[in-house]
Amino acid sequence: MEDEYNVAEGEPVGVVAAHSIGEPGTQMVLRSFHSAGIASVITTTGLPRIIEIVDGRKKPKFPMMIVRLESGYSKNYEKVKEVWKKIEEVKISAVLERFEENLKTGVMLLYPNKEKMERYGITPGVISKRLAKMEGIDASLDGDAIKVKVKEEDTKSIRTRFVKIRASIVAGVKGIMKVVVQQEDSGEFYLTTSGSNIEGIMEIDGVDKESIYSNDIFEVMRVYGIEAARILIATELKNTIEEEGITVSFRHLNLVADAMTHTGVIKSVGRHGIAGEKNSVFARAAYEETVKHFTNASIFGEEDMLTGVAENILIGKQIGVGTGKVRLAVKKQDLKKIMK
Amino acid sequence: MPNAVDTKCHVYLDGRIIGNVKDGSEFAKEIRKNRRQGVISGEVNVAYIKRINEVHINADRGRVRTPYIIVEHGKSKLTEELKQKIINKEIDFNYLVRRGVIEFLDAEEEENAYIALNENDVTGRHTHLIADTASMFGLTVNISALMEFNSAGRHAIALNFNKQSQGLYAINYANRYDPQAFILYYPQVPIMDSVAYRTIGLNRHPSGQNFVVALSTYYGYNMKDAIVLNKGAVHRGLGRSALYRTYPDEERRYPGGQQDHLKIPPPTADGYLGEHAYSKLGEDGIIEDGVDVKEGDVLIGKVSPPRFLEEQTSFGVGEEKSRDNSVTLRAGEEGVIDNVMVSETTGATRIVKVRVRSAKIPELGDKFASRQAQKGVVSLIVDERDMPFSKDGIVPDLLLNPHSLPTRMTVGHMLEMLGAKAGSLAGKHLDSTPFTKKGKDYIDEFGKILEEHGFDKFGDEVLYDGRTGERFEARIFTGVVYYNKLYQMVSRKIQVRSRGPVQILTRQPTEGKPRKGGLRFGEMERDALVGHGASLSLKERMLDQSDKAEVWVCNLDGDVGYYDYIKNMPVCQLCKGNNLSKLEISYAFKLLLDEIKSMHILPRIKLKSD
Repeated sequence: MEDEYNVAEGEPVGVVAAHSIGEPGTQMVLRSFHSAGIASVITTTGLPRIIEIVDGRKKPKFPMMIVRLESGYSKNYEKVKEVWKKIEEVKISAVLERFEENLKTGVMLLYPNKEKMERYGITPGVISKRLAKMEGIDASLDGDAIKVKVKEEDTKSIRTRFVKIRASIVAGVKGIMKVVVQQEDSGEFYLTTSGSNIEGIMEIDGVDKESIYSNDIFEVMRVYGIEAARILIATELKNTIEEEGITVSFRHLNLVADAMTHTGVIKSVGRHGIAGEKNSVFARAAYEETVKHFTNASIFGEEDMLTGVAENILIGKQIGVGTGKVRLAVKKQDLKKIMK
Repeated sequence: MPNAVDTKCHVYLDGRIIGNVKDGSEFAKEIRKNRRQGVISGEVNVAYIKRINEVHINADRGRVRTPYIIVEHGKSKLTEELKQKIINKEIDFNYLVRRGVIEFLDAEEEENAYIALNENDVTGRHTHLIADTASMFGLTVNISALMEFNSAGRHAIALNFNKQSQGLYAINYANRYDPQAFILYYPQVPIMDSVAYRTIGLNRHPSGQNFVVALSTYYGYNMKDAIVLNKGAVHRGLGRSALYRTYPDEERRYPGGQQDHLKIPPPTADGYLGEHAYSKLGEDGIIEDGVDVKEGDVLIGKVSPPRFLEEQTSFGVGEEKSRDNSVTLRAGEEGVIDNVMVSETTGATRIVKVRVRSAKIPELGDKFASRQAQKGVVSLIVDERDMPFSKDGIVPDLLLNPHSLPTRMTVGHMLEMLGAKAGSLAGKHLDSTPFTKKGKDYIDEFGKILEEHGFDKFGDEVLYDGRTGERFEARIFTGVVYYNKLYQMVSRKIQVRSRGPVQILTRQPTEGKPRKGGLRFGEMERDALVGHGASLSLKERMLDQSDKAEVWVCNLDGDVGYYDYIKNMPVCQLCKGNNLSKLEISYAFKLLLDEIKSMHILPRIKLKSD
């Protein structure tokens, strides 16, 4: 069975992979559509997502996570909600009714909204404690309000500090903007989050730490290592393509993922990555920025061994793949016989 | 809360703001009232746009406007009394426009109107009644037949085909010198037509013919969009057309007193094509009427002064050199000289126009299309005796594959077959103006005529196989359809090459039919061969059949040298040595090396013996 899928010696697997992904790619729509009405986390889909992965962008446009819960939590909706509250990032401004700023004295009065606080399970005391921990701030409860005094003196820095304070987080994990509870057919609940922070999520009780899924490739590489990133690249490509109703053999996607990660860091496909680091001057010059590559090659005295496909097509030699890989050879002793 | 600025309603005239009014809606009504009374020109249209609280008045040209009957207080202004007067021919359309019964609305004013499609539907809220339901379609749909039965997307396609059709584009074509023109030999007026078609006078210069069509396959020859034609019908002139092409030339004057001369070029002229090429020219160097010409023949002999000023020869001013600048017939074409015109421009230079006519008889690969956006390419022209025939001896001109119809939903095509068949039996033109009748009414009407003439009322015919004489088991839907011959013809496109000209710079084959070019084996085609690992096929395409070049490379310097045929040995220009090897590389690569050298980089080719 496995032998069936072995490729022959000299098979240009890279070109075949490129064709196998590229051709269905022409059928994918450039604009992705969202299904309205369903509570879900926004992610990039379709061609833009594929470009995002293959380009090796440091941060996806819409990072997301799938967080599964431990067995004690996963079937109990109340407990799931508790975890949700712990995860979702809450900014101070989100729980405020109104606020008063005094830019002269550097004092700000925050009036929290009771309903909003209840929803996130926060009390004014929690907020003032959090604020008191921050540097250069005195925070205390003042009746309904929280009184915040900052040390800055000039009006401009007081103002920027106030804005920063209101944007600071009082609860939840940093970077997790939105959490949606979803249910499996088996009745198990799980959470999808918009925004990704693997390290932060791991610290939350009730989270199944072994099955956290994130679509942020660079974060996965940082936390779990390059092999995890490799698998993530391949699976993300597969899922995005399959979402469009197109099937591409997983081996092609695996090859792309391998090519991007085999050096231990994530390289993009293109000018700044795989294609830009080819050995051959001609191959690089044929791709992009022709003059730059020739001048650099002359400055550093580069050699081109003319082994790749692009170079050999350029000069008109047989290419070294497929039927061009094999050559006839004669043993030296046989040659002597023939010469006689 | 709206402020004082927002409550003002801006008024725009032809897109430019001209002032404000308090109530835009009332203002627009006032203008309309005045227009209907004749105080303001009837060509002015006004629209109040509630959403942005603006009044747009349009009086410029280029607006498409549609006539509507005005409705006031739930009653059409076109009263029974007026209708009777029209029938008695006491009044005409313009009278109604002048009297404010009918007015023209443009696209913007239509947004303010509530238009009833039927007089019985008129209520108090309606402002207008549509004068003619067909007016909701544009011209292109209206000049077609039975288009309201087709899928909407087909209209645009049908328009495209109509634009490409050959016909009688101008009645004075014999006196015109169009760069290129097509004339159908026997254009016919369609049997099914519409009011718009007759009104704009298209029936005086039609662009198609009525084909007898059977909805039938023919041994797999009309799969997909292929059509089968009857050779007998083709020989009788079906789809036959002429291509007129004009070759202009003039005696141009050059600075320095030199000028062109229209004459048979002397053999001494630069670029002389050989005596044979000029054999058809008259004494004056211009070809004459009625001469058959073929590829390579010179139509107008012309001698021009050389491009560059000459060097002084040792004999002083020598014999003036000349350059052959004759006009030849286009590659791959042939025909008859239709007309020759000699005249003078205002600048007193002689101009010549030679018009060549070539007959275009339908052949395999020519494109035909009906008015219902059903195109097809001729795939087989069958002997008349091998075509299916009916008991009356009627042999279809064209066999259309029935699979063309269901997916495209061109029901109009089938209705036209039925209607035109009835029309040709009754010997009259039948009207098919959009929305005049329902589909069932059409079928009943056509069916009645067909039955009167002893045909099946649904247009089915018992057909016999022309090859075996056997009766087909199924009855076959047969009718008459108006077909256009499109100007996409193989004779204008066919092009083959095994050897031929190459570009000077790259030594690669030229591109395009007029230059006898090859077909480009592009980047993606190249990738396909790489993907198959077909290295020798790839090398053959990219090198052997393209720009293969033999180059001598110095074994020591790695620089490209040359072969000295006097000393009979290769030379390296760097070391002046003779130790060089012969390489087979693409000329484009040699060119690349030269260009790299031109940017002060010396590429060296290091050779290794295998």
